[in-house]
Amino acid sequence: MIQILSLLMSVSLVSFIEYILPPILYIIVFPGLIVVLLMLFFMIWLERKVAAKTQLRFGPLYVSKRFGGVIQTVADLIRFSFQEFIIPAGADVFAYIQAPGLLMAFGLLPLIFIPVGPYYANIFPANYSLLIVVPLIIITPIYVILLGWASDNKFSFVGSMREAFLVISYEIPLILSILSMILLYGSVNAINGVSFQIGRGIPGIVLNPIAAFLFLVVMIRTTGRFPFEISEAESEVVMGPYTEYSALFFGIGMSLPYIELYSFSLLFSVLFLGGWWPIVPSAAAASGVVGGLLLPGLVVFIKALIVMAFLVFLRAVYPRYRIDQAITVGWDQAVYLGFAAVALSMALVWSGLV
Amino acid sequence: MTGRKNNRIKGHVDALATGFKYLAEPNRMTLNYPDESMNLKDNYRGFFAVKDKTCIGCSLCEIVCPPKAISMLDLTDAGGKKKKRPMIDWGLCIFCYFCVDICPTDAFQTSQVHDKAFYSETEYQTVHGEPMQYPYDYSKRPDYKEIYESFHDVAPDDPSAGSKKVVPKFDKKRGIKYEHPGQP
Amino acid sequence: MSAPQDRTATANLTYDELAGLKADRELVLLIGPAHPGSGHMKIKVWMDGDIIQRVDPDIGFVHRTTEKLSENRLYIKAIPIVERVMLPDTINANLAYVIALERLLGIEPTPRAQYLRTLTSEINRITSHLYGIGLYGIFLGSSTVYMWAFADREPLIDLIEEISGARITYSYIIPGGVRWDLPAGFKERAETVLQYMEARLKDYGKIWVRNPVVMDRTEGVGVVSKSDAIRLGITGPNLRASGVDYDTRRAKPYAAYPNLDFEVPTFSEGDCYARLLQRVEEIEQSIRIIRQVLKDIPDGRIISDDIYSKMNPLQKRMYEMKHRVMFPAYMASMRPAAGRSTASVEAGRGEIFFYLVSNGDKVPFRFRWVTPSFLNLPFFTHVMVGQHLADLPAIYGSSDYFPPEADR
Repeated sequence: MIQILSLLMSVSLVSFIEYILPPILYIIVFPGLIVVLLMLFFMIWLERKVAAKTQLRFGPLYVSKRFGGVIQTVADLIRFSFQEFIIPAGADVFAYIQAPGLLMAFGLLPLIFIPVGPYYANIFPANYSLLIVVPLIIITPIYVILLGWASDNKFSFVGSMREAFLVISYEIPLILSILSMILLYGSVNAINGVSFQIGRGIPGIVLNPIAAFLFLVVMIRTTGRFPFEISEAESEVVMGPYTEYSALFFGIGMSLPYIELYSFSLLFSVLFLGGWWPIVPSAAAASGVVGGLLLPGLVVFIKALIVMAFLVFLRAVYPRYRIDQAITVGWDQAVYLGFAAVALSMALVWSGLV
Repeated sequence: MTGRKNNRIKGHVDALATGFKYLAEPNRMTLNYPDESMNLKDNYRGFFAVKDKTCIGCSLCEIVCPPKAISMLDLTDAGGKKKKRPMIDWGLCIFCYFCVDICPTDAFQTSQVHDKAFYSETEYQTVHGEPMQYPYDYSKRPDYKEIYESFHDVAPDDPSAGSKKVVPKFDKKRGIKYEHPGQP
Repeated sequence: MSAPQDRTATANLTYDELAGLKADRELVLLIGPAHPGSGHMKIKVWMDGDIIQRVDPDIGFVHRTTEKLSENRLYIKAIPIVERVMLPDTINANLAYVIALERLLGIEPTPRAQYLRTLTSEINRITSHLYGIGLYGIFLGSSTVYMWAFADREPLIDLIEEISGARITYSYIIPGGVRWDLPAGFKERAETVLQYMEARLKDYGKIWVRNPVVMDRTEGVGVVSKSDAIRLGITGPNLRASGVDYDTRRAKPYAAYPNLDFEVPTFSEGDCYARLLQRVEEIEQSIRIIRQVLKDIPDGRIISDDIYSKMNPLQKRMYEMKHRVMFPAYMASMRPAAGRSTASVEAGRGEIFFYLVSNGDKVPFRFRWVTPSFLNLPFFTHVMVGQHLADLPAIYGSSDYFPPEADR
């Protein structure tokens, strides 16, 4: 009896470390919730700080002065959580409350399907990762429309319609950009894409710069960074879809673009920046949690952080486009660029250069 | 710098480069106010009070005051002599210095102090630089040196209490530099 | 743009009924008075899709009866009041009133005072234009140019602070001259600031004026043709951006402007970008004027003999010692002879026109203000129709409209 029990325990411990812990780590720690939260705190602070530096001022400073006000965002979160949550009289209460939650869920979901290390293949089926990530990323405007409609506010409505128009107009360039990389890597598995880049020693941004540029533009647009910060344009539609929201729900609306930015940047570094290169784990190390998940993950995260830092810096340089100009770019020049990217990939593959 | 013909790519590159330039070399103009405060210019129009010995009680300051912040009080000094002296309401004063300039005897003691905190309106109605007390005890009035020092006394509740004093200096490259007078 | 007959056909309807006519298509947006893009006014916008069908600016939210207030006070007491409606532009408002008053009193300021008036007026014009450019930045979404412009006002404000002792409400100009002379070493410090400004204008050009996004947003948007600009009666930089070469500094010279060599920039396009460029060019011209003034400024008194002779001996001694004008008691008892006078001054936003009537009393009989922002108001309704909703802040911001100035 004791023997059976100890056997069971040892088996379960091994299986816990091998099969149960990695997915939990993946979802809860990195790239999942905890790192998302830390990234949010850091990135919002960084955005304000970078903009402030360019704008001849200091930015957040007085909360934790010694560290340049880095926990300012935590203070904001605490403030948000103690604010009153107001539901407007004309709002559709059920939709009004559930929309931010759904939005948050769909903002977080793509993270599960972005491999941040070779060990990812052991815990999730990675074979179709790119095919799953793309629809999950572009599904969010449905909930933004819900948000704007439920608020019973004209500015919310205009803002959510803008968001929907824009995301739809930039879907095709996004798909074309990813498609050209799929053609190049010969696989819809992002892990294969990374091993392709590591194997050739050339990152995707050099292989197909058109696709990388296009992806960057779509990323700026979808995450609402300047110069495409159109759906929340303050001087036009107040706060866009989130106008009526207050307290933590407003915090969700505010942090969602950063979460999208995070998943886009991870995808960008996997697809275009060589993933976990220069760390090339051996086959043995790749099946371990540290060598296969944490170290490569750290590299991918740092690359994503640099991309995010560049995108939040754009706030200090650009004003915003008008909606019709942005849509025209999305349906017109960006689509041509997308076809050019696909053609470039096809030419590279057929010519056998890569 | 004008002209409409513009190369779009050069425009984007220029804009990004300028942004990076200021990010790499930030030219911060902010004065961290509660920690640092400015030594205002020599002729800055700050708080002021009448010097009792020079004032002749002519009421011109009351007449010329645009927001009617000055009202002349009938006070009695120790010898039982009636005197008119201005009471200044700092809640109304706009620091235009018309009263200071119109005074025929130049009886106003001025200062460059601008940040003072008051708790109540009785506190910011001042005679001889001190809060008005009813009835007014004429013998306790301060002389003008005390008045001047009282302006420069920083009360613990004042916004600039405990701040480092800085002096703004014009600079060709940075616009304004805040220098600490104590440091070399 | 909706045809005039449409407007007459629906003239008897209330706004709500009018909105109800096309309720299925039309969206009525109330932008303001508590909207981040409206300023202290309400703009009622009828939209079809994203296209603006009709605009109704509703002003008066910051009306403070200043015109009447100034009629119930001594002449000298109106100086702080005229300043308070045009806070970015106080010297010019002050100057316009004092010119009108001097014409009533028959006082002529001294040449040095004229140059000092021009000097402070031009510094003030730069700060006023920077204010406009900065706010235009926030209307189009660039917080950088907003912060830059407001930070760069600081050295210029400090310059006038050195002269006048205040930062915004200077009350610097009085009948007969000005109140303080230049402090020692002012010319060198002013030159430092001007060189800084010139270097900064280059960076403004790179990050804002020639930024391709700004050009996309502003070129061809809100076009006011030359004839429309004249017909609508708009004024100031907005008028000159439409190609009308009219500047009060040149058309009706005052202060030291007749002696100065400067250009009046104009643009023929009349769109938002032209209005933006117009302000930048005028800053450059102002820098040029300030340099000339500092070079040519004559020596002498800063207050006219009429006023100086009325000072008592102590005040005269104070003036000789400190170059600071003490007011003679006359300032509190000015009684201009019955009559009327006008004054026009080119302020940052356009021509200020003051009409002053005296009946020989201590207070004005009538003091009529025509402020430039109010004159610039009609062109919103004119050019916003047919534009996108996102062009509303672009046009509004480009006009540099300042609600307290229009509402008075």
